[in-house]
Amino acid sequence: MKPIQSALLTIIFGIAALCIGSNATAATPQQELAAASTIEAVKQRGVLKVGMDIFQPWAMKDKTGKLIGFEIDVATRLAEDMGVKVEFVPTAWSGIIPALLTGKFDVIIGGMGITAQRALQVNFSNPYDYSGMGIVAHKTLAAGFDSLESFNRPDVQIAVKLGTSAAAAAKKFIPKATLRQFDTEPQAYQELRNGKVHAVVGSAPRPAFEAVEYADSLFLPIKGTFTQEPIGFALRKGDPDSLAFFNSWITIVSMEGWLKERHDYWFAGKAWAGMVE
Amino acid sequence: MRLKKPAITVLDWVLLAVILGFLTYVVYRLFFALNYKWNWAVIPTYLLRFDGETQGWKANILLEGFFTTIKLSVWATLLAALLGFAIGLCRVSPRLFLRMTGRTYVESIRNTPPLVLVFIFYYFVSDQLLALAGLEELARAATGTGRTLLAFFFAEPNLINQFFSGVLTLALFQGAYIAEIVRAGIQAIDTGQWEAGKSIGLTRWQLLRRIILPQATRIMLPPLAGEFINTIKWSSIVSIISIQELTFQGLQVMASTHAAIEVWLTISVMYLVPCLGLSLCVRRLERAFAGEDRAGQTVPQFPSY
Repeated sequence: MKPIQSALLTIIFGIAALCIGSNATAATPQQELAAASTIEAVKQRGVLKVGMDIFQPWAMKDKTGKLIGFEIDVATRLAEDMGVKVEFVPTAWSGIIPALLTGKFDVIIGGMGITAQRALQVNFSNPYDYSGMGIVAHKTLAAGFDSLESFNRPDVQIAVKLGTSAAAAAKKFIPKATLRQFDTEPQAYQELRNGKVHAVVGSAPRPAFEAVEYADSLFLPIKGTFTQEPIGFALRKGDPDSLAFFNSWITIVSMEGWLKERHDYWFAGKAWAGMVE
Repeated sequence: MRLKKPAITVLDWVLLAVILGFLTYVVYRLFFALNYKWNWAVIPTYLLRFDGETQGWKANILLEGFFTTIKLSVWATLLAALLGFAIGLCRVSPRLFLRMTGRTYVESIRNTPPLVLVFIFYYFVSDQLLALAGLEELARAATGTGRTLLAFFFAEPNLINQFFSGVLTLALFQGAYIAEIVRAGIQAIDTGQWEAGKSIGLTRWQLLRRIILPQATRIMLPPLAGEFINTIKWSSIVSIISIQELTFQGLQVMASTHAAIEVWLTISVMYLVPCLGLSLCVRRLERAFAGEDRAGQTVPQFPSY
C-alpha cells in the first residue's frame, strides 16, 4: 500500500468509527424528547400525580376521606391502564396552572374547560367531556328574569368562583352586570341565598341542585345550560408524547362507552349524594 | 383609708347585658334568619370514621388536617428558633455587616404581608431548594418502619415536598419574629454583666455562652412559647398554597358538602382549644419566672398577643 492510500484509508476508517461511536452514545433529538416526556417519568416513578380541586360532582371527599367523583374515576382508570398507581394532589383552583407549570404534578384532570387563554399556557388533550354553564337566581331580587339579557344591567350582581370558566362565561354573556368573585363555590352560593347577589353562574349541575335544595328562595331563570364547554386534561407544553398518549386513551374509553356511562352516573342523578352528606 | 369598691359595679352588669344581647342577636340571625340549611351531621363523619377493614375508628380528614397543623407548627417553630437565634445574635453583633444583614432580614419580613410572603417563598424559595434535596425520591424509597416513622413525624411520601415547603415557609417567616425576641432578651441583660465578664478576660463568645445567654434564655422562654402559639395560628395561611393542614382540609370538606358554616365553626374550635390551652401554660410559665426573680429587679414583660 502506498503511504497516501493508507493515510486516506486511515482517515476514512477514522471518520466511520467516529460516526458509529457517536451514534452509539448520543441519541437523536427525537429519542431525547421521548426520554424526557412526562409519561416516561411516570412509568419510572410508578405513580401518576394528578392535580385537581374539589368541585361537585367532579371530585369530592366522601365520608371516609377518600376522593370520589367523575374526574377521580377517569384518573384512576387512566393510571390503571398505564400500569401505575394514582396520586391526587388537591390544589386551590386559582393556583392550579402555576402548580402544573412548576412540576407539582404531571397532569391536571379536574374538569378544566378548554379556553384559548388557558391553551396559551398549557396543552390540552382532546375533550373527554363537555360541561356547560348554568345560572341560578334569587326569587325576589331577580323576579321575572327569564333570559340572560334581563341580567345584563349594571345594577345586577353576579357571583362566581374566582378563576373558573364560569367567571369567563359571565363576563362574556352578561358583560354589563357587576361581577363578584369568591374563592370557593359555597361562598358564592351563600351570597345568593343571603340575597346579596341576583344570581350565581356555575358549571352544571350545581346550579340546578341548588335550585332544588332551596326551592323556596331560588329558581332557574333559564333551563339547562347556556354554554357548551369542552373539558380536557391539561399538561405542560413541549411534551408531544404525553399529549399523544392521553389523546389515544381518551379515544379508547369514549369508543367503549365507558366515559358516557361514568358521566351519566355522576351528572344525571344524585345517586352518589349519600356518600358525602 | 380608701373605701373598698364592690368587685362588679352596676355599670358592669349593664355592659354585660348589652354584650350578651348583641351575641344573642348574632346567634339568632345565624340560626333562624339566615337562608341556610344546617347539616351538622357531616361534621362527626369528617372528624372520625369507622374503618371497615381494621374494625376500628380512624381520624378522618378534619382530624388529619389538625394533626398536620400541629406537626407543621412544631417543625416550623424548631427551625424558626434556630434561624431566629442566629439572626438575633447577628442583630447584637459588634460587626456592622452582621447587624445590617440581620436587620435587613427582620425588617423585610416584618413589613411585608404574610400572604404575599407565603406565595413568594413557595414559588421561588422552597420549590427550588426542595427540588435540589430530592426528598420525595428518598421518601418513596423508604420501606417498612422507616416509612411509618416518616409518615408519623412528617407526611406521606406524596405530600412530603409540600409539607416541607410549608414548614420552610412558616419557619422563614416566624424566624424574623423570634430573632426580635432573642435580641430583646440579650439586650435586657444588664450591661454590668458584660463589663464584669470582660474584666475577668472572657472572650465575647465565652461571655455569651456562659453569662449572657443562660440569663437571656430565661427571659425569652415565655415569649418564645407565645410565638409557638402564633405559629399554629399562622399555619392556616399556608392553606392557600394547598398544604393539607386543617384550614385546607376544611375548605375541601366545604366544597364537597356545601356545609360551609358548620365547617368554619368546627375549625375555629379546633384552633381555639390547643391555642387557649397553650396560652394558659405560657401565663403560668411567665408567673413562675417572675416569682423567681429577686425583688427590685425589673423583668421585661412581653405582651403575649
